Amino acid sequence: MRETWVVGAASNRFGKMRESGREAATQVALAAIDSAGLRPTDIETTFVSNCFGIAERQAHLGPLINTALGIPEVPSCTIESACSSSSAGLHEAFVHVAGGFADAALVVGAEKLSHLDTLHATSYFAMGADYAFETRNGATFPGLYATLATAHRAKYGTRAEELGAVAIKNHANAARNPHAHFQKEITMESYLSSPVIASPLRLYDCCPFSDGAAALVVVARERFSSPPNEPLVINASVRTGSIADMHDRTTLTGLPATRLAAERAFRAAGIERSSVDLLEVHDCFTIAELLALEDLGFYPPGTAGRATAEGETQREGRLPVNPSGGLKAKGHPVSATGASQVAEIFEQFNGRAGGRQVPHPEVALAHNVGATGGSCSVHIFGRR
Amino acid sequence: MAEEPSEPHSIGAYRKAYEDGDSLLGFRSGCGFVTATWGLVCPRCGQRDLHVVRLSGRGTLAAFTVQTVPSDEFLNDAPYAYVVVELEEGGRITGWIEGTASEGALSIGAAVRWKPTYKPGVQFQLVGVASSDALGG
Repeated sequence: MRETWVVGAASNRFGKMRESGREAATQVALAAIDSAGLRPTDIETTFVSNCFGIAERQAHLGPLINTALGIPEVPSCTIESACSSSSAGLHEAFVHVAGGFADAALVVGAEKLSHLDTLHATSYFAMGADYAFETRNGATFPGLYATLATAHRAKYGTRAEELGAVAIKNHANAARNPHAHFQKEITMESYLSSPVIASPLRLYDCCPFSDGAAALVVVARERFSSPPNEPLVINASVRTGSIADMHDRTTLTGLPATRLAAERAFRAAGIERSSVDLLEVHDCFTIAELLALEDLGFYPPGTAGRATAEGETQREGRLPVNPSGGLKAKGHPVSATGASQVAEIFEQFNGRAGGRQVPHPEVALAHNVGATGGSCSVHIFGRR
Repeated sequence: MAEEPSEPHSIGAYRKAYEDGDSLLGFRSGCGFVTATWGLVCPRCGQRDLHVVRLSGRGTLAAFTVQTVPSDEFLNDAPYAYVVVELEEGGRITGWIEGTASEGALSIGAAVRWKPTYKPGVQFQLVGVASSDALGG
């Protein structure tokens, strides 16, 4: 395999976009190409994610983006893996570039749902679950993660204050991120008084419905060895799956796909967990961040909540987690999320993360889950 | 748990069986895995010898949540509980419990049974609770 780098990245401000998903995707794609010091004509293949494009009456977005970038003859395809769509796109770009099928690939994810009301947005999000055997039986997306939370609580005694500590930390980080959907800090008092959405998850346990777009440029080192920014060296790009319906798995207190992805990724990267300086993990709900930290192997099962409450995962803590604010507070424009996690790490590696900067990270991990873990991506990045 | 040939093994058949109030269907594979989720090959062991089974509909709660914000098909039923049920036969199924405003009497291990209904999905009720109203508050 060829050494493969992320040399360009861009994200817009998450929240409510005036632009269409198509326009936003094209804008961030061009910004990512510019940040890489490349021209659109350097791109040889494009991977687009736009799960809910149908809400804008649009599918087959790739050719529209490539045409608007002035590269209509470049091939494109749509990569859909629910909330892990654009990290799946990154994996496909990695496979193409590392395998020698392309020297430069574009990854772009975009979503626009803010024109829908809460009921319809909730229903769209639930489409990542199994309609016949979960959603038809009453599940919403918060509801599915809430069942994991009640099972985790029953087994480990997970407290509301531990979930709240995740929300408070991630809001504090997002308040320092100009691209974040929510840019305000919250307190434990406001967390505990927020309304229950799906018990035990409250409003402040849940990520928002966000519009947003993010893009990455992936290249072969041997062809583009002098990028204008510090590149992210892709030391592991792993995708896994698990039994799609959560209730049919052997455990209800973790995500098997994350456990498998972590095991494979650390083996591929040839590093120990102790080498990792920062994590961007999938925290669509606060319980998801605790599960991620335990399933990735950074904490034994049932202990991530206490560690979070004690401040270990804050920016200044032993293991900074979600300095961007995470899905929880930076926002979760489904198809843009995976690429935006990597865009955050790109900014962190280049020392441009401002008030949320983690001091000189050498190794970072991005973890992105599709739905309730039917699919999962783990990427590990290092410096050249 | 009566076993039958695999002929009615389709998502439509599963749904028709519970909508008609007839039974809950699932399959048992050669490795002993039981599930009420449709498939052609066992996701645990990879065997194809799946036997459609009629499930008793009795079990205990493995996980639950009370949802105050519903999906569109349950718009008029919120709040309600979404539950994961550990079946008497082994394996799990999902469903919902009507009229549940708080976690109240819900607890992991609580006994439930299938309650045929004209409403969407697989509905359960707590065993030993006279009325779902008792769960309110």
